[in-house]
Amino acid sequence: MSWKIWSLKKSVWVFHVNTGACNNCDIEIVDLLTPKFDVERLGIKLVGSPRHADALLVTGGVTRQAAPRLREVYRQTSKPCVVFAIGACACDKGIFTTGYHMVGPVDKIIKEIDPNAIIAYVPGCPPKPEAIISGVVTALSVL
Amino acid sequence: MNQEELNNRLSDIKDKLFAFEQTLDNRIYLSCESENAYAVNKFLFEEVPLRFVIATGIDSDDCFEVLYHYAYDQTSCVITLKAFIRDREKPAIESIAPFLPAAEWIEREIHDILGIEFNNHPDMRRLILADDWPEGVYPLRKDSKKPADRPDGEPPACPMVQSQSPARRTVQLSKPVLPVGPFHPLQEEMEFFQLTLDGEIVTDIDMRISYNHRGIEKISESLQFDQVPLLVSRICGICSASHPLAYVQAVEELAGIKPPERALYVRTIINELERIHSHMLWVGLAGHFIGYDTVFMWAWRYREPVLDLLEEITGNRNNYGNVKVGGCREDIPNELIPKILKDLDLIEKKVEMLTKAVLDDPVLHARLKGVGVLKKEDAIQYAVTGPTARGSGVAIDVRADDPYAMYADLDWNVITQPEGDVFAKAVVRLLETLEAVKIIKQAVKKLPGGPIAAEVKEIPPGEAVGHTEAPRGETFHYVRSDGGNRPVRHKVRAPSYVNVPSFRASCIGQHVADVTITLAAVDPCYSCTERMAVVDSRNNVIHNYDALLKFSREKTARLKKELGAPELKLEDI
Repeated sequence: MSWKIWSLKKSVWVFHVNTGACNNCDIEIVDLLTPKFDVERLGIKLVGSPRHADALLVTGGVTRQAAPRLREVYRQTSKPCVVFAIGACACDKGIFTTGYHMVGPVDKIIKEIDPNAIIAYVPGCPPKPEAIISGVVTALSVL
Repeated sequence: MNQEELNNRLSDIKDKLFAFEQTLDNRIYLSCESENAYAVNKFLFEEVPLRFVIATGIDSDDCFEVLYHYAYDQTSCVITLKAFIRDREKPAIESIAPFLPAAEWIEREIHDILGIEFNNHPDMRRLILADDWPEGVYPLRKDSKKPADRPDGEPPACPMVQSQSPARRTVQLSKPVLPVGPFHPLQEEMEFFQLTLDGEIVTDIDMRISYNHRGIEKISESLQFDQVPLLVSRICGICSASHPLAYVQAVEELAGIKPPERALYVRTIINELERIHSHMLWVGLAGHFIGYDTVFMWAWRYREPVLDLLEEITGNRNNYGNVKVGGCREDIPNELIPKILKDLDLIEKKVEMLTKAVLDDPVLHARLKGVGVLKKEDAIQYAVTGPTARGSGVAIDVRADDPYAMYADLDWNVITQPEGDVFAKAVVRLLETLEAVKIIKQAVKKLPGGPIAAEVKEIPPGEAVGHTEAPRGETFHYVRSDGGNRPVRHKVRAPSYVNVPSFRASCIGQHVADVTITLAAVDPCYSCTERMAVVDSRNNVIHNYDALLKFSREKTARLKKELGAPELKLEDI
């Protein structure tokens, strides 16, 4: 394991990107911060800038207007950076697959600018907070 | 004015119409040619007067239709004016936005998606489609095909600050740059606001939406009537009970279906549980914006039991998928009722505590009173709904005005406050949460036996509207059927669509420190300010969202000091 990956796995700082989600995955992510789940006790912290982030929590199936912004946010993160596609839409556009304004899913947009990006998927509509924690832990343990 | 008088009043304009149809006592459809639409709209909005709800653009076979929906809340009447545009090559109609600011956005949207020109519109920029969407492709036309995902050549750079329409431009912007951190972890969705400042005072506000546009109305046309509720519950995760309910009520009205009583009670209970969790979510975020993170943590902690109850009833914490045409999918098991009552007691106690904390706190009074005032006249002009309207003294609430589910049989009050400031809106939401607890307690105790769904055979051709009171205001759905198994047009109007443009009335003239909380006071469905850039016209400084949050918190801290308020202790809570 390279030292970069080793250091990445300690106290993951995450940045939340909404690319056209219905708000459900997003409130579940914010819910992780609040007393019932409180992920900060595990060292996971939501940060306000992609430049501080070890991981991106991306929700939504990526709308046409959001796609260039998602690429830009990913470009700004320090690498290695794990991209978590949270929810059915982020994984595969979900129920919005046929929408005319959807250009996703997340992995397609990210791989356009970085074919070797590390992408993890947490399915669910929305995934329960426990599932998001479990997804993050599982992904980090296989890195 | 009762319904008969309203009908008489409407007949004054009969010479401009070619059809007058009443499908139910309180559903009226008027038809006119596009040339007369301006005059009829002016009459409906200014003379009758009616509340503007939304407009719908439809691509019919041989013409375009623009439907203007109005509501007359005193008699629960919904009036739809259909304007027919016969020229398919160059469709055009007179804009009604000059006298009705609430119609400004929807006319821009119809222009985007159907290519109808609105003559004399004050600001016809792109609203709902992406910056790189090809010109001349109108997605809601029946023959439209999805364009390629990426435009040819280099993708355009993201314009962080948009150019204003020439008519509205009050200040020449130099070439702008947006600082890092356009996203903030506590802001959930992408949204772009542009404020123009003179010193500390906001002199103009501009908005760009589209980031979250998924084209749901078009997807809905490809789904069967019974699949659509699952789609519309995903319009917004927080309103995922009220959207499907509004749609289902429209289809039930269309097909004349009467759901059994138990289903109506279950719908009432789920919708009120949703209101509690949504309002508590708002209280928490509002606390965060002004620097009271304790309120944020406590409000969200006591929101959890509500989500647990919803999970036990419907199987999911959000996106319940519980209503269907004719009734409900999941029943409330009778064994669960004691637990619901017990949890409600806890929630009630905690909401009372939060309400008392807000009403008694001198810092909050100083911080929120007189801030972001939306005057009653403006509330009517912008046709706002929900707590935003009720906080400005406009007593409209679909649950009382056009009762659906079991609201008419239960004892509860519509909460209004006359002031129109952020404090009034907070009080409305907190007291409404207590009303919601009261409603659920009664509904649970009265829950009758019997089936939870009626049999549904076919959906006949026709059209209907359904509306419900979501936590943020009136959710309005219009459904048209041609007798097949799919809607041919399904229009959705979420409450934030009319509430958000009212920022023009409530933010201009405010201090920049008050902007975050004023924007948040509407509880915009996209908790939106992360894409905000503030341009100081004197110094040409651009502040980002974090800086604004800092201003807002510093002002609270300063007031606290001035008032000599004690630091919050744990035992006070």
